[in-house]
Amino acid sequence: MPKSYSITLDINRYDPDTRLSWIQTYQVEASGILRFVDVLRRINDEQDPTLAWSSSCEHAQCGSCGIILNGKPLLSCELLVKDAVGQFNTHRFKLRPLTIAPVLRDLVVDLEKAYDRVHKTKPYLIKPVPYQPEGDEYRISPKTLEIYSEATRCINCFCCATACISGYHHFLGPNVTLANMVRLMDPRERAKKERTDILYREDGVYRCHTSKACSFVCPKDIDVSHFLALGKEGRF
Amino acid sequence: MGEALTVDSTLRCDVLIIGAGGAGLRAAAQISEQRPGTKIIALTKVFSPQKSHTTTAQGGMAAVDPKDPVDRSIFHMFDTWKGSDCSADQNVIKKVCEIGWEEVVWLERHGMHFSRTEEGRIAKRPFGGHMLNFGETKALRACYEADRTGKGIMDAVWAESLKYGVKFMGQCIATEILFKEGRCIGAIIFRYPEGRFLAILAKATIIATGGNTKMYLVSSNCRGNTGDGLVLALNAGLPVMDLEAVQFHPTGMVGPGILASEALRGEGAILRNKDEEPFMEHYAPTAKDLAPRDLISRAIIKEIREGRGLFHEGHDAHHVWLDLRHLPKEVHEKKIQEVCSFFKRFVGVDPERDLCPVTPTAHYQMGGIPTNEFGEVQNDTQGIVPGLFACGEVAAASLHGLNRLGTNSLLELITMGRITGERVIEYLKDATDPEEPSPDDHHMVFHQFSTYLHAQGREKYAQIRDKLRDLMMEKVGIFRTENSLLEAIEELRELKERATHIPQGTTSLRANQDLWQVWELNNLITVSMVIAQGALSRKESRGAHFREDYPERRDEFNYHTFAYMPKFGEVTLEKRPVDMSMFEAKGGHYELFDYIKREY
Repeated sequence: MPKSYSITLDINRYDPDTRLSWIQTYQVEASGILRFVDVLRRINDEQDPTLAWSSSCEHAQCGSCGIILNGKPLLSCELLVKDAVGQFNTHRFKLRPLTIAPVLRDLVVDLEKAYDRVHKTKPYLIKPVPYQPEGDEYRISPKTLEIYSEATRCINCFCCATACISGYHHFLGPNVTLANMVRLMDPRERAKKERTDILYREDGVYRCHTSKACSFVCPKDIDVSHFLALGKEGRF
Repeated sequence: MGEALTVDSTLRCDVLIIGAGGAGLRAAAQISEQRPGTKIIALTKVFSPQKSHTTTAQGGMAAVDPKDPVDRSIFHMFDTWKGSDCSADQNVIKKVCEIGWEEVVWLERHGMHFSRTEEGRIAKRPFGGHMLNFGETKALRACYEADRTGKGIMDAVWAESLKYGVKFMGQCIATEILFKEGRCIGAIIFRYPEGRFLAILAKATIIATGGNTKMYLVSSNCRGNTGDGLVLALNAGLPVMDLEAVQFHPTGMVGPGILASEALRGEGAILRNKDEEPFMEHYAPTAKDLAPRDLISRAIIKEIREGRGLFHEGHDAHHVWLDLRHLPKEVHEKKIQEVCSFFKRFVGVDPERDLCPVTPTAHYQMGGIPTNEFGEVQNDTQGIVPGLFACGEVAAASLHGLNRLGTNSLLELITMGRITGERVIEYLKDATDPEEPSPDDHHMVFHQFSTYLHAQGREKYAQIRDKLRDLMMEKVGIFRTENSLLEAIEELRELKERATHIPQGTTSLRANQDLWQVWELNNLITVSMVIAQGALSRKESRGAHFREDYPERRDEFNYHTFAYMPKFGEVTLEKRPVDMSMFEAKGGHYELFDYIKREY
C-alpha cells in the first residue's frame, strides 16, 4: 500500500455574508497519491461541508483550481500529497486564495473578473491575413510554429500573475502579455501595430522586472519570461 | 436564512446560449458573423468559456479534405455508420462529414494553432475506427493540435465570440426553461457568487451544456459535467434520446480516470495484459489497438475478468498496461507532450521508460436532447419546440447513434454548432420579443432550492454521491444485465429520496458550494434513472450498450430510444426511427449503409 501522511492544513476562510476572515486548521490523514483537490474534497466529505474551493477538469488543463500553498501559487489538482511533503519539506501547509481577484468565499476567487484583463489583450486574430485563393488553410511551417507554440499552451490559471513581483495593479500580467505575444508571432495576424500598442502601453511589458517568477511557477512549464523578453526586445 | 427566493431582475437578449463550450460558442460565432449586432448572452458554470470541458479533448477532429489523394468523405460516412453499430442518422452523418473540412479551415482561419506537416499544411493522424476504402486500412483523418486539440478549438471559438461582443456570464446555472404558449422564451438563471436568481428572456435559446458522466466512479469528465441540460429538458416534459449509450474510453489513467488519448495508440502505443501480451490482436485482428472504443473497453474488462489484468494497490483498481516505450523521443516530446506529463504528475510513471496503468473511464454521452438535423429540439418524434435549440454533447441529432468514433465529437461540436447557429439566424427573422412572464408564475426551482436549503436529514452529500458512483459503475456500466438494471433502478429510487434530505452546512445562498453540488447530484440521479431505464428496455447489444443476457444486435431494436420523465422514476418510452436516407437514395455504395455486420 502507498504511504499515508498526517498533514495539517491552515486554510484562509472568508464568509461573504458576515465579511469575517479567519484561519481554520484541519488535520487530514491522506494517502500520498492523493491530489490536493482530493484532500479538499475529503475535508468537505468528512469534516466541513462549508469549505469552498474551486476546480473543474482536475488534470491541469483548465486552470480553475489555483491556490497559494506555502507561498507558492500552483494548481491544487496536480500536486500530490507525497510530492508536497517532499517539495516543501513539511507536513504543515498554509493554503491561501490567489491574490489577483476578489475572494468570493474561502479559496474561491472571482477569476471571471480576472479574465477582463485577458479580454483586453484581444486573444483572437484582430486582422487575419486574407484567404488563400485555393480556399484552404494558411501555410505555416513547423519551424515557425515551434517558435511560439509553447506560449499557446497557457491555460490562464493566473499562477504567474499571482507570483509576479511587478504587482497586479500596475502590470497587465505575464499571462495576458503572453497571449499578445502569441498573436504578435503568429504569421496570420496583420494588426501588428495595434498589438505593439497593447504590448508597450503604460501597464504593458515594460512593467516586467524580469524576476522570472512567472517561468518558475508556471504549472505548464512554459518559459513565460522568455516570451516577455522577446516582447521587450521587439523580436516577433 | 432571511432571503426569500425570488427572481430579482430580468435581462433581455436575442439569443441565450446555455453552456459556453465548443458547440455553444461555435453557434455564437456563426450568428455573430452572419448577423452582426445580434445580442447574445452565453452562460457557463465555470469562470470563463476557456475553462470548459471542450478544452480537455486531446486527440483530434476528424475531417476529410476534398483534395486528399486517398481519403474520401464517403469512407468517413461509412466508418461513422459502422462505428455507430447502424444506429446513427444518415442525414446527419452525410451533412456533418461533408462540411467537416470547411470547419477545420474555419478554425484555422480564426487562429487555431493546428500542428503542421513539413509543407506547412494541417497535420493528420490515424484514430480508432477511421479507415480507408471501407474498412481496409487506417486513414490519416484526425486533424490535431499536438494532444491538446480541444484546447485549440476552445480558444478559437471563445476568442472569436469575444471579438464579436458576445456577453459571457460565468459561474451560473440555468435552473428552468421558460415557455409561453409552447414557445421557449428563455430561462431562469442562478448566479453562484451572489446567490441570486434572474430571468433571461430571449427570442431563441440554445442548450449546449455538454456531458454528464460524473455519475460513474471512474470518469474522464470535468467536475461540473452533471447532465444539467438533459434535466432542463426532462423537467419541461421534453424527451431525451438514447441515454443508455454511454461511452467508456478504454484508456483512463488508473486512479482519477484522466483521459489518456486514443492519439497515443494512433501514434503506435500498444495495450498489453499482465503477461505483456498485445491482447487486442485476439479481439480485432485488422484494427487491433485502433478498434473502436466500445470494443476495446470490453476487451480490457474481459482480460481483467479472466485473470490477465493487474491490480493497482494505491488506487485499489484493476488495470492493464499501455505501452509507449517504443515510440520515438520526438513523439513523446512534441506530439503527446500533455498526456506524458499527466502520466508523470498524476500516476508517477514515465511513459518513455515505464508501462502505464490504464482502465476504462466513463467518457461521453452519445445520446442527448433529440434534435432534427438543424439543431431544433423535438417535443415528440415528429414536432419541434419553437425557439429552442440544442447542440454538442448534450444533444443527439444523431451523428453517433449508440457508439461514437474518436475525433467525431469535436467534429460534431463544431459542425452542429455552426448548423444550429444558421438555423437560429433563420428563426430570428420572424421572431418577436417575448412578453414578460407573469410575476405570479410559479417557478419549480424555488421549491427545489428551499427543500435543499432546509433539509434536516443525517446522511451526507458524499455518502449518496459515492453510492451513486459505485452503483452506476457496477450495474449500469460497460456490461449490463436485466437483473443488474432492475436492482439499479430500485436503488436509484431510494437514492433520489435520500438526496432530498441532505443537510446543508449553511443556508446562505452566496457562493454556496454545498447547495450547488446537491443540485448537481440530483441532476445526476435523474439522468442515471433514464440511462438505466433505457438500458433495461433495449434487450440487445449495440455499440456502447452491452447486455450480457442479450449479447447480439437485434433488428427489432433498429430505432432510437425516446424517453420522457416529467416526474422522477415515471419513464415513458417511444421509438424514433433511424434515418436511412443514404441507403434509401440508392447512390454509389448504398448497400454499405444497410444494417451491416460490424467487425474490425
